[in-house]
Amino acid sequence: MEDSAIFNVQEQWLRPLRCELNVLSRPDGSAMITQGSYFILCCYVNTFLYSYRVHIFFFKGNTAVVAAVYGPVDVKPQRILVDKASIETVYKPKSGLPNVADRMRETIIKNTCETALLSAIHPRTAVCIVLQEMQDSGGLLSCCINAACMALMDSGIAMKFLVAAVSCMISEDDIILDPSDKDLMGSKASLTFVFDSAKKNLVASHTSGVFSQEQYHESLLKCRQASCEIFEFYRSLVKKYIICI
Amino acid sequence: MHITVGDVVLPGDLIGEQDELKKVVYGPGLRVHQNQIYAVTSGIFKKKPDANYYYVDTFHQKRYVPVRSEDVLGVVTNKSGDIFKVDIGSSEQASLSYLAFEGATKKNRPDIQVGDLVFAKLVVASRDMEPELVCVDSYGKKGKLGPLPEGGFVFSCSLNLVRKILKKDYPLFNVLGKDISYEISVGMNGKVWVKAATIPQTIAVCNAILAAEHKTKDEIDEMSKQILKMLAYC
Repeated sequence: MEDSAIFNVQEQWLRPLRCELNVLSRPDGSAMITQGSYFILCCYVNTFLYSYRVHIFFFKGNTAVVAAVYGPVDVKPQRILVDKASIETVYKPKSGLPNVADRMRETIIKNTCETALLSAIHPRTAVCIVLQEMQDSGGLLSCCINAACMALMDSGIAMKFLVAAVSCMISEDDIILDPSDKDLMGSKASLTFVFDSAKKNLVASHTSGVFSQEQYHESLLKCRQASCEIFEFYRSLVKKYIICI
Repeated sequence: MHITVGDVVLPGDLIGEQDELKKVVYGPGLRVHQNQIYAVTSGIFKKKPDANYYYVDTFHQKRYVPVRSEDVLGVVTNKSGDIFKVDIGSSEQASLSYLAFEGATKKNRPDIQVGDLVFAKLVVASRDMEPELVCVDSYGKKGKLGPLPEGGFVFSCSLNLVRKILKKDYPLFNVLGKDISYEISVGMNGKVWVKAATIPQTIAVCNAILAAEHKTKDEIDEMSKQILKMLAYC
């Protein structure tokens, strides 16, 4: 495959992430993540001395998820694991009961968090992760994983590494990173990748649609580069919270 | 990326290689994996000033994981046979033998009911075993441990706040203590018991502790003055 490392992250932005930690009072850790899509109006303002370039941001829609973590807590006898903590995930849709797709999402989040957590140091306990969908404007799964990761980090539970999920879609001719729901209408395939913060290894991959092997590799590469942006965001977030203390 | 003391670390950050020759203790928030030291929680990487002891100071933690020899505050939830079950906020309830009280014998049982509060020390805290409490020291004396008297008020707070207020130079208690007389028990599990002469005073002390979490020394002085002023009207 031709090395597409020339690809410039600045050109293909992820939608801006915003995150707040400890949003809920009862759980041990909680986080709210919004991933907003926007378009930029670029205009030039000419004054007597200078010419400014002004970016005006228009927010179209956000994907917003609230995650809560309880743990390590007491575990039901039927779920007990003698060598590690058992991890439960509950995904709450915006309205109504969870359907099959939601169950699928739940499982992916559970498996991802299981990889990230050092569950062996809390045997015979449970870690419960609850996710509440607030709004879906595309990339809900990646938003859920990022929110769950932030909530786990907020709870102070021991983790091997952090994870960052990046979604992308394959349209007729190119790969679009972090597509919004409007972009997704013209997609042939949509892919979500999860990377770890230690070695940027692939932790989870969820795909739907038709794509070639090259397209898969290319999107994996692009998403891996974009994941660095998310890890940078995590670090700046923690720094911001530590300054407050 | 090179991490030094005082830096912000995230889970999975490689801090360095383990030095076999130097005696170094890796405390909470760190783990050694294949001779490499990694952070497991997010926070500030710190070192104790007088010892080769490194740890990560987390910025926010609510759930208590029992640690041996820590003093905790718990609620008695069950009496069965010769043990009490005590809820200390961990994943499992701790057990407290009725013989682990000062002057307790098989005939002379301590007078403790379900719902009572006890301030106890953890003698067993292992991930594979049920946590075990005692209310006596190694000389068989109760010291500061034991059931707490009636009429106080318990609240939960973050573990960081507890560690903060237990520091020797923490100013809040001295400032408040000049005008209000109160008793306080602080458990390392994030539970705090306060008893003052009147109920408004008890509430004031509780609120002062919770409000002081992110305040500096000067702000604490200022807040304490205001609280005392308010109490004068009660």
